[in-house]
Amino acid sequence: MYSESLVPQLELVNATREQRKAVTPAPLADREKTVLLKKYHPDYKDSAFRDLRIGANKGDRVTHEFADLLESFSSLDHARLDLEPEVTTDVLVLGGGGAGVTAALFAESRGARVLLATKLRLGNSNTIMALGGMQAAVAAQDSPVRHFADTMIAGGFAGDRRLVKAMVEDAPGIVAWLLKVGVNFDRDENGDLATRMAAGMTAPRILSIGDHTGLNIMKVLKDELRKSDRIELAEFSPAVELTTSETGACNGAVLYDLGRRRHFVVKARAVVLATGGAGRLHNQGFPTSNNFGATGDAIVLAYRAGARMEGLDSFQYHPTGVMFPEHMVGVLVTEAIRSLGTHLVNARGERFVNELETRDVVAAAIIRECETGNGVRTPSGKVGVWLDLPILEELFEKGLLRKRFPALFKKFMRVRIDITRRPLLVYPTLHYQNGGVFIDETGESTVNNLFVAGEAAGGIHGRNRAMGNALLDIFVFGRRAGIAAAGRVGHEPGRLTLNHVANYYSRLKSLRISSVANSPTLFPEFIVDKI
Amino acid sequence: MITIELEGRKIRVPEGLTVIEALWDTGHDVKRGIGCLSGLCGACTVAYLEAGAQRVKFGLGCQVVVAEGMNVIMLPYFPSRIARYDMADMANPLQELPGQYPELYACDDCKACNICPEWIHVAGFMKNAKEAAYATVAEKVKDCHLCGLCASRCPKSIAPQYVGLYLQRSCARQQPLPPNLRKRLEEMATFADDADFARVPVMSDDELKDFCRGFL
Ligand SMILES: Cc1cc2nc3c(=O)[nH]c(=O)nc-3n(C[C@H](O)[C@H](O)[C@H](O)COP(=O)(O)OP(=O)(O)OC[C@H]3O[C@@H](n4cnc5c(N)ncnc54)[C@H](O)[C@@H]3O)c2cc1C
Ligand code: FES
Repeated sequence: MYSESLVPQLELVNATREQRKAVTPAPLADREKTVLLKKYHPDYKDSAFRDLRIGANKGDRVTHEFADLLESFSSLDHARLDLEPEVTTDVLVLGGGGAGVTAALFAESRGARVLLATKLRLGNSNTIMALGGMQAAVAAQDSPVRHFADTMIAGGFAGDRRLVKAMVEDAPGIVAWLLKVGVNFDRDENGDLATRMAAGMTAPRILSIGDHTGLNIMKVLKDELRKSDRIELAEFSPAVELTTSETGACNGAVLYDLGRRRHFVVKARAVVLATGGAGRLHNQGFPTSNNFGATGDAIVLAYRAGARMEGLDSFQYHPTGVMFPEHMVGVLVTEAIRSLGTHLVNARGERFVNELETRDVVAAAIIRECETGNGVRTPSGKVGVWLDLPILEELFEKGLLRKRFPALFKKFMRVRIDITRRPLLVYPTLHYQNGGVFIDETGESTVNNLFVAGEAAGGIHGRNRAMGNALLDIFVFGRRAGIAAAGRVGHEPGRLTLNHVANYYSRLKSLRISSVANSPTLFPEFIVDKI
Repeated sequence: MITIELEGRKIRVPEGLTVIEALWDTGHDVKRGIGCLSGLCGACTVAYLEAGAQRVKFGLGCQVVVAEGMNVIMLPYFPSRIARYDMADMANPLQELPGQYPELYACDDCKACNICPEWIHVAGFMKNAKEAAYATVAEKVKDCHLCGLCASRCPKSIAPQYVGLYLQRSCARQQPLPPNLRKRLEEMATFADDADFARVPVMSDDELKDFCRGFL
């Protein structure tokens, strides 16, 4: 329920609805967009970045949050760890989201024994939270080539063309695989896969399952994973370090058993790192849409092992994160809402940006409104703008919101906000790590036998990921990484060492860097700031 | 500040916190019952009694906001039986439901399971399942995140969430390949012959840009 102090504001949204329908803000010209982004998009805020002083990407611009983790000693005393492996396997998969589970299934299908270790319960991940849908060029008027072009353009041509090509070519086959394991993508009356448009697409390409796409895929994949005795599971066991052989190839990892509170070591012929993104680092203090375990661990682990990164200064801030009520701050309102024609409204009851602009532009425009005094203030002092959902019931039909967005409707009914009658207060939320560990088409990083898949990997989405391409990417590259990793079964992993960590630390010392951090972060420092 | 009973202990916490935040605020190092923090994953189930109330309620710890006099515990996992199968080996898994989940037929529609935080009418879909209205079940469990609260209430130890998942998967597998996908897969067989697209790796940056913008 909205607090008393917001009531006049709510009334203003209602009162201005009719007149707002008549005035749609014009789309910005390229030059205007650049000016807006440079001034207000968090990726362009120079004071939030610095040049990395160490490692394979030395000299690259990265966020302070990543630099702090990479330019520090771990609080873990690596010299005292016993590296005698407790488990030996063919393929060690780290991370139990969509990418990890897919890698495990495909590695197993090629005859490998697999251990899948994950930080929380299997499936607790960003994958389960994906609402809107997944891209795949299956519609008659669409084609993989078109999908390629749209993706390259969305990413500002910073994406790696080989990876994008692989992704779009694999997409139809991946959909067929998901259907075969029992994923129920929505269909139309002819039995065709239903496809929808989204911002930046030149053909309808979004496949979905109601407004719970990721959840329904993940449920089925988790179930499928149980079929084989060759896949072992270690839940509540985050990886805290990779191990390398004398020649620097990856050959296992050190995990931390959260229940027993002790470390244990796994030896493997190949490792697939699929630990997801970094929203919980809360760049520049932004709220996040990400799950509890999204602390960017892949970056820390792989970087110390010598892997090259790509695009660590580029993040996606989703324009419509919830700002009220307090306990839902950062939670996502799906882009599908904006695509349908909702208005974004400032404290003066005006629209201030064409709502169909890309995510980065809309996010920058919201930040501009809030920083120039046109934002709406909550009782606790947070600032946002209104997302006028009730207008959709007028533009389309009564009952649309409940029918098309049942999960969203319920989520707010629980806190007694009826989205068919009330707008939501929103502000950009840290949503997606555009960059990550650099990979080739098989998913291998620049470190031998270390494969990376999913949000942890970089190079695919350039400077801006298009809606629905993340879900596609995790299955495509999860599969490729799993298959390639299984191909290393004949390989002898050699002795497990932490030489790479020791070397990294001596380099830090020679640079006179002496900060200590919990890196990887594993769990966000939670500060209750509502008192 | 308000006073609540948290994990069996009376304690004062600031107003407006969720159950999970109240646990963190009072020094409980909870990780096991936490996932998305957005009410989407079902990891954080709780049972609570509101001040003066007689009936225990159930919900998600990241969504339930604590109130004066509330008595609340986490219930992050409840043991429930899940059948073991490999669907690839089954010609029609729908027909095998009685073999996989025989306990389903002991359900006498007592409705104790209707406590779903996603507002799914659990008893309703269990009835559909017994009556072999499988497609209806598949549709109804789309919002289920397998939190297992329903199973915790069942006097017959049936796990509705797993029965629902089994049917959701089985129904999807029984559907024919969508015609639009079939057609695209056929085209993909000769896709490598697309001469222009095959040149993508060797195009100059400007050529690549022109190529992509040609689709706008
Ligand atoms: C709210 C939300 C909505 C979204 N909607 C969409 C959408 O509609 N369409 C789309 O395409 N994309 C969407 N995305 C993005 C997409 O869901 C993710 O990018 C993608 O699912 C990431 O998959 P992943 O397997 O790489 O990582 P995740 O699914 O996050 O899985 C990573 C796993 O690794 C585990 N882990 C983390 N650290 C460690 C460690 N040190 N050791 C072991 N395990 C570890 C985590 O606990 C987690 O289980 C959305 C994201 C969010 C947050
Ligand atoms: S933590 Fe996922 S539903 Fe509460």
